[in-house]
Amino acid sequence: MKVIQLQDVTRVYRIGEVETQALRGVTLDVKEGEFGAIVGPSGSGKTTMLQLMGCLDRPTSGRVFVNGKEVTQLSPSKRADLRKGTIGFVFQFFALIPGLTAYENVELPLLLIGEKAGERRARVKELLEAVGLSARARHRPDQMSGGEQQRVAIARALATHPVLILADEPTANLDTENGRQVMEIMQRLNAETGTTFIFATHDPRVIPFAQRTVELRDGKIAHDAQNA
Amino acid sequence: MGGLSIGKLWLIAYRDLGRNKRRSSLTLVAVALGMGLLIVMSGLIKGAVDGSVENAIRLQTGHLQVRAASYDEEKVSLEWKDLLADPDELAAQIRAMAGVRLATPVLWANGMLTGGDESVGVQVFGIDPLSEFYAPIREAMVAGAFLSPDDRSGLLMGQRLANSLELSVGDRISLVVSTADQQPDEALFTIRGLYSTGVASYDETRVFLPLPKAQAFTQTKGHASAIVVLLDRQNDADATAAALRASGQQTQGLRTLTWRDLNQVLLQAMDASAVFLDMMNLVVLAVVAIVIANTLLMAVFERAREMGILAALGMKGRQILSMFLLEAGTLGLAGIVLGLVLGGLGIVYLATVGLPIGEAAAAGEASNMITYGNVLYARFSLPDTVSLSVAGLVITLLGALYPAWFAARLEPIEALRAL
Repeated sequence: MKVIQLQDVTRVYRIGEVETQALRGVTLDVKEGEFGAIVGPSGSGKTTMLQLMGCLDRPTSGRVFVNGKEVTQLSPSKRADLRKGTIGFVFQFFALIPGLTAYENVELPLLLIGEKAGERRARVKELLEAVGLSARARHRPDQMSGGEQQRVAIARALATHPVLILADEPTANLDTENGRQVMEIMQRLNAETGTTFIFATHDPRVIPFAQRTVELRDGKIAHDAQNA
Repeated sequence: MGGLSIGKLWLIAYRDLGRNKRRSSLTLVAVALGMGLLIVMSGLIKGAVDGSVENAIRLQTGHLQVRAASYDEEKVSLEWKDLLADPDELAAQIRAMAGVRLATPVLWANGMLTGGDESVGVQVFGIDPLSEFYAPIREAMVAGAFLSPDDRSGLLMGQRLANSLELSVGDRISLVVSTADQQPDEALFTIRGLYSTGVASYDETRVFLPLPKAQAFTQTKGHASAIVVLLDRQNDADATAAALRASGQQTQGLRTLTWRDLNQVLLQAMDASAVFLDMMNLVVLAVVAIVIANTLLMAVFERAREMGILAALGMKGRQILSMFLLEAGTLGLAGIVLGLVLGGLGIVYLATVGLPIGEAAAAGEASNMITYGNVLYARFSLPDTVSLSVAGLVITLLGALYPAWFAARLEPIEALRAL
């Protein structure tokens, strides 16, 4: 089962008069259960690729399939619907809603898909436990460390049982120990739940965690390899 | 709402307000001050309007007047055909009607006062000094004594008029009137007392004589210009006027006017001032809306990334829009409540202590028509307050609409890039 298919995808940004070719014809399949890294220097197109996979953006040309369904030309509202139950995001910055507690942040995607209260409660508890933050449930983001915030973000990304979690530089703002913890948690959850994880990174310390490494250079795939 | 209840959206909105306390509280104060100002302004205008009408009724027109059909107010006619022939009898009949508090005959004449080397035109009022209708004048006495019915040589005048002629109680003064057959007649009077009602037109241009003396002086022989009627309830004016008109021969050749007919110019001026007030309200409300719009637009820019996250999680544009509107609504409601408290306190203060508008303003040209005193008292009006509150909330939400719409149409990736 292919979770993501990119077919000859390009993405051109126009900012004023300047055109930036972020992706220049990328074809890639991601299979269910993969734990893959997209690597490459800054500006190589990693974030753009994740955003296209995550239906946050539309390609300039080429086609994008999620779970076998073409999403290339979906309206913003349809894409929002698709993201809701299918795709979880973990960002480089600790993308929690600042006004909400850890518990409420994890609960938010469940509210968006209309999960019942009892199931919501059980799921949030289970997830906070899985990332080792049961004790932090009532804390707001500004009362938690970066590593803790990122673990809450992972719990939130997993909340709706998505088929795919996209993580953009999830360890970039963390020290080695916290970065390692975050990667281990993602790896463990990948193994336990079978959820597909794709993370973009240029941190050499986290690349060894990946089963597959796709290397981007100047908007093209330079290298795509299964790790031993 | 796609599973996300208003309650949860509101929770996020509410907590966002709490996160930037300084910005939220400044906006709150702006809304509250705007609302407070509107309420105080409308209370003052209400006080001025109601006060003017009440003053005009109580000091001058009464609720009803019965006059000869041919009486011409402009000419202050004293010809017998234009006057009431048997005013005491007519007044007694009116007094017997239900809902009538008092009915008293009055004779009006134009006159000229001469004191020292100055002459000044005045309106001469021949009154029944015992009538309760003149209680406000009795209460406004500042020097000397009120008239007695059998006084044949005394008069009352406003303190301001006396001051301008440099006269005081006990001084003698020459009064010239035009009589029923349009001949001038002159007599000397002694100033018995001075009053000060605070109403310029009253204190500067009127002299009061007992009715019998006025009738003798103007050779109108038992006639009166009108019967002035006060009712128990102002709202009964039309019904009582209709009853009077229908009451048979005694009222033939007579005309009954209500306080609305008698204060037409004043009421029109009030309507004009209401339009002006509405415009002022709109301006204040627009300022409030702009403050709200500005605050929320800042909030949107500041929280673009948060919008991006919510969008990435699958929150839709209209949910984000609702969230911002809820935020604005909460701020607006809180501001309105605070504004009601501020405005209420302002009204209480201005209703008890009043706003001195100064001698000069009270004596100014405009106040010849708008007859409020020199202290303006505010009045609370529930309908005005309710409509202002609703308008405040609506305008707050309108002000929030642009920022909310702006937030709702942010592309997730643009929002996420705004680090």
